[in-house]
Amino acid sequence: MGGQSTLTKVIGAIITTLVVLFLVNLVTGGAKASTVGWILYLVGAVIVLVIYFFFANKPIWEVGTREVVMMAIGAVLYGIFSWATNVIQLPSVSFVSLRPAVAIPIFMGLAFGPVVGFFSGAVGNIIGDALTGWGVFPVWDLGNGLMGMIPGLILAWETQRERRRVTERVLVIVGAIMLLFVILTVLFPNVEHPWMEGMRAGQWTLGLLIITIVLVAVGWFFLRKSPDIAVSVIWGSLGVIVGMGFASLADIWVNGYSLATAIIGEFLPAAASDLVFAIILVPILYGAYEAARAQTGR
Amino acid sequence: MIVTWSYKERDTIIQRLDPRARIIFMFLSIISVIETWDLRVLLGWLLLVALAYRLSKLTWQETRRFWMIVIPIITLLVTITALTGRGGEEAYQVTHPLFSVPLWGTHRFTISAEQLFFAMSQFVRMLVMATFGLLIPFTIHPAYYGVTFKGLGLSDKFAVATDLAFRLVPTVAKDFQTTLDAQRARGYELERKGAGLFQQVKNLAPLVVPVTIGTILGGEDIIDAMDLRAFGAKPKRTWIVELHYERRDYVLIAFGVLLFVVTTVARVSGYLHFWVPSWIIPS
Repeated sequence: MGGQSTLTKVIGAIITTLVVLFLVNLVTGGAKASTVGWILYLVGAVIVLVIYFFFANKPIWEVGTREVVMMAIGAVLYGIFSWATNVIQLPSVSFVSLRPAVAIPIFMGLAFGPVVGFFSGAVGNIIGDALTGWGVFPVWDLGNGLMGMIPGLILAWETQRERRRVTERVLVIVGAIMLLFVILTVLFPNVEHPWMEGMRAGQWTLGLLIITIVLVAVGWFFLRKSPDIAVSVIWGSLGVIVGMGFASLADIWVNGYSLATAIIGEFLPAAASDLVFAIILVPILYGAYEAARAQTGR
Repeated sequence: MIVTWSYKERDTIIQRLDPRARIIFMFLSIISVIETWDLRVLLGWLLLVALAYRLSKLTWQETRRFWMIVIPIITLLVTITALTGRGGEEAYQVTHPLFSVPLWGTHRFTISAEQLFFAMSQFVRMLVMATFGLLIPFTIHPAYYGVTFKGLGLSDKFAVATDLAFRLVPTVAKDFQTTLDAQRARGYELERKGAGLFQQVKNLAPLVVPVTIGTILGGEDIIDAMDLRAFGAKPKRTWIVELHYERRDYVLIAFGVLLFVVTTVARVSGYLHFWVPSWIIPS
């Protein structure tokens, strides 16, 4: 990725998406996208451009034979592990399932770069859904792809010192985002779950608070003791928040959900469970991979 | 082997179609179904997808697992929507109660005509989309995925990765099953009684770690084999399978485009919205 032509493509993609969303809005009688939907789209577009300007000229986007094979392996592993647990459904407004397998695309991103992470998440989600027989959900495929891509961006920083420094900042961002959701559930405790009779936003406060405290504490502890583990936990969490956040908020457009429905009905069940798996399983996988790599000399 | 692609050569009209044409048709159809809430039109889509299923000559034995998982999940989601009356706020604003059952105290459980028909429409929509998805793995040869995606505009490297991923599914699935059996023989339990949430997640490591690391290390052999065959040495690569559009494929794509355009025009013109028959609404 690099050069003027790529920037043109990125801006072209953003403008094309804007036009498509406008047409979708027209076709659906203007009911799909609220003002919130448009604002979120603009925020997303700005994030894409910021990522482009920061990372465009880094070698992390190069794809050789190793990346091609690892993309395939990551996708198939994510697909099969997802298939194994897809039947365990979480209380949500769509097919949100319990997925320990989210550790796979995050780990693939961390170990082999953002392209491998993105492909593992996106194509793995397609394979898992196809094996289960659920059809295709493009927005969630992209969300799963982002979940693998974001952690891979850490490879743009080459030295341990740089990675540790940037991870400290990311920990602050992740902690702030999580705290924002905790505060939202405290401020609006009576927002009802769109489908689950009786379930309210306030019921998420304690769980989210525990996950936030554990995440920040684990991240902070390992930043001092073992930066590699800290990187995998913190960047993995950022991947979950961005990926699941993208997919859930995009459903404001796709399914016509309100912001509350998208957050309480999709984002919270998906992201909260995925964060638990990311915090625990990604460091274990990363540690095992480093040990195996040291043994084989690859 | 716990999971594998269920493709079987059948020489049906569906399998003779170019996979690219079928994927284009499937996407256009799914978008059209997403635009539609009118149950009468959705039943037409159900007939169309049932016809495709019939023409594929798939048997109950082959697809039983799909139906046993998907139908209960769809039914559960639809039932929750119907019982709570939520999820359809955009489709209807006024409700006409059909019957009401006393629960406790002053609480009553009421089902309206709108709730009932919204649930039926939602069920048919989900079933149509899931069945479109089902037909792909059962009727497209796993060896054709890569060249199909290449033909749909994916770059060579991504097409090869996709091809490799679909081909690796049975192998990795076998490793997964072998590892699970081996760990169980050592007394491994996925859900240990009395363990907390974090411990339960940690318990997954003896399954996830060996399969993942083993597959990645095994992938090094594939990398070596591809490098030895000079993968990526030339910017343009050829494929052992070549796909060619025939007249029937163009007809299928044209039919998909026609359905999509008609649906979109109808939707913009105010049709295909949520429908409740007037005869069911109590006067």
